[in-house]
Amino acid sequence: MTDLAAQKVDQALKPPRNQWWDVWDQFKTHKGALVGLFILAAILLAVTIGPWIWSIDPTYVDIRARNQGPSGAHPFGTDQLGRDLLARLMAGGKVSIAVGLTAMLLSLFLGTLIGVVAGFFKRAEGLLMGLTDLFLSLPLLPLLLLMVTLFREPLSQRFGPETGIFFLIVFAIGVTSWMQTARIVRGEVLALKEREYVLAARSIGTPSRRMVLRHILPNVMSPIMVSATLGIANAIITESALSFLGLGFPPDFPTWGRILFDAVDQMQLYPIRVILPGVAISLTVLSVNYIGDGLRDALDPRIRGR
Amino acid sequence: MLDAAPQTGRRKLVEVAGLKMYFPITAGIFRTKVGDVKAVDNVSFDIYEGETLGLVGESGCGKSTCGRVILRLYDPTAGSIRIDGREIAASAQSDLRTMRPTMQMVFQDPQASLNPRMTVAAIIGEPLEEHTNLSKAEKLARIYELMDQVGLNRNFANRYPHEFSGGQRQRIGIARALALNPKFIVCDEPIAALDVSIQAQVVNLLEELQDRLGLTYLFISHDLSMVRHIADRVAVMYLGQIAELAPRDDLYATPLHPYTQALLSAVPEPDPDVETERGRIILTGDVPSPANPPEGCNFCTRCPKVMEICKTVEPAFREVAPGRFTACHLYDDTKTTAGVTAAYEASKSIQQGV
Repeated sequence: MTDLAAQKVDQALKPPRNQWWDVWDQFKTHKGALVGLFILAAILLAVTIGPWIWSIDPTYVDIRARNQGPSGAHPFGTDQLGRDLLARLMAGGKVSIAVGLTAMLLSLFLGTLIGVVAGFFKRAEGLLMGLTDLFLSLPLLPLLLLMVTLFREPLSQRFGPETGIFFLIVFAIGVTSWMQTARIVRGEVLALKEREYVLAARSIGTPSRRMVLRHILPNVMSPIMVSATLGIANAIITESALSFLGLGFPPDFPTWGRILFDAVDQMQLYPIRVILPGVAISLTVLSVNYIGDGLRDALDPRIRGR
Repeated sequence: MLDAAPQTGRRKLVEVAGLKMYFPITAGIFRTKVGDVKAVDNVSFDIYEGETLGLVGESGCGKSTCGRVILRLYDPTAGSIRIDGREIAASAQSDLRTMRPTMQMVFQDPQASLNPRMTVAAIIGEPLEEHTNLSKAEKLARIYELMDQVGLNRNFANRYPHEFSGGQRQRIGIARALALNPKFIVCDEPIAALDVSIQAQVVNLLEELQDRLGLTYLFISHDLSMVRHIADRVAVMYLGQIAELAPRDDLYATPLHPYTQALLSAVPEPDPDVETERGRIILTGDVPSPANPPEGCNFCTRCPKVMEICKTVEPAFREVAPGRFTACHLYDDTKTTAGVTAAYEASKSIQQGV
């Protein structure tokens, strides 16, 4: 090495920079991720601030104005009961995105926790992977239906019909979709556990808890990120399916899935009512996907700075 | 080292006795245990303070496992390990934590032993994070000091391992091992993954650090010339057992155990005249499986001087001359005080008989 003694006297010695700045620098170079971030921010703004500006009640029925095409009074037209589609899309988006994000976070948390514990601690492996296989083998839709029928009433009474159903659906989707993540994470952890730097950490005396946080989790980030982005899409679509079966939110309560399935009957007459919620779901999922992609690259120091 | 003092009277820093590390073999649906891989089988040696013990042997003979067991990265099957007067073979990992600063390890593959998602500062700082209560600024000062010690530019502190060459990565690994001022460092083939020109740099760095900080090394390697350069005493391992343990010069001049003789005869000689003259002991056959070692002496299946007794009775590992230990029936009749040369001559005559 030529950089031995000569360069020891150093002019611009910077203390270690917070690595999140590097992450942001790399993230900015990913075009798709930036566009995705922009679109997701726009959608989030639309569904949170939008109802303040476009203040038509999404549940207000104006039967004389039903099945209208786009106009000044209703930019996206109205549905078969004369409800304003724009207002319904904004209100529905709020619920759908909230359900998607929370259910994804729940399933990600469960999946990562179970995957890491099963992979890292040999004693827990048999039990936890057995549990994962058990959940994988359950027929999910009947299980969801059963959960909803059993718990809808008590939860509605406790938290009010909308919040109660929100909790129920998030919980139902969360606990039935963590298994893939758990399996992937466990596989990664099993491989990582044998790497020499984990052995090095053990020789330093790092306790298991911090070993997982410092060495294992950052290195299983990529697969977790991928299942996270796919998880949001999955959660929004599952919620739609539940709403379609009449077991999700109350029928007059708009969600993207609900709006979509309400419009399916008259799809050939009014295709825009199917297209709009469909595009909203796709855009959200796609932008989250791209953000996840950019984030995964930005979090990997080997790709960063390339 | 050339200035190696006589070993007697020096404090033993590491004492290993009867160390066994068996890995279970399981088979069938019920994962029942059907046998053991005897990676380390009844190994005993001491390391004196400030010396370098070289541990050599062919691939798969248990050198690395031995080094790792001594640091309790694996839980030994049996035996005792005393480091700095403390028995650690059976202590719980939580108790070991307080011992960790005394003993550290440098790993073989510098790429794999550094977390790709941590900066150099974070990697070197990890032991400080775990075992000291230094403030952020003090920690950084110590990290810079360590980087200076191993010859790394301070500007590299924010970089990631993949941005370095192999030699530089190994320096990071050494700096991490040094962070807590350890007394004993296990160097697990620290130069095996490096370029020959870089090997010398790293070995010289290790020697320099030893002189400056008074470190004790267990230097695991399969490079006999490098071990000759760095070690004070050398232990030769074969199939999980130590075949011979002797001071470096004695071992290289007059190897006692037939396996050591064969191993040394494989070292190429730089002088072409000597090289062509030199008799090469070529072993036949393969190393037996450590799951099913032969009865008697482990080396009896390949030994050029094998006798009847070798196939039935396991030779004891004992001192045949002052400071020279070997496990071989050729030296059964020698007393501890007897001349080594006599034994060596005796072994030659047996070879003619074969």
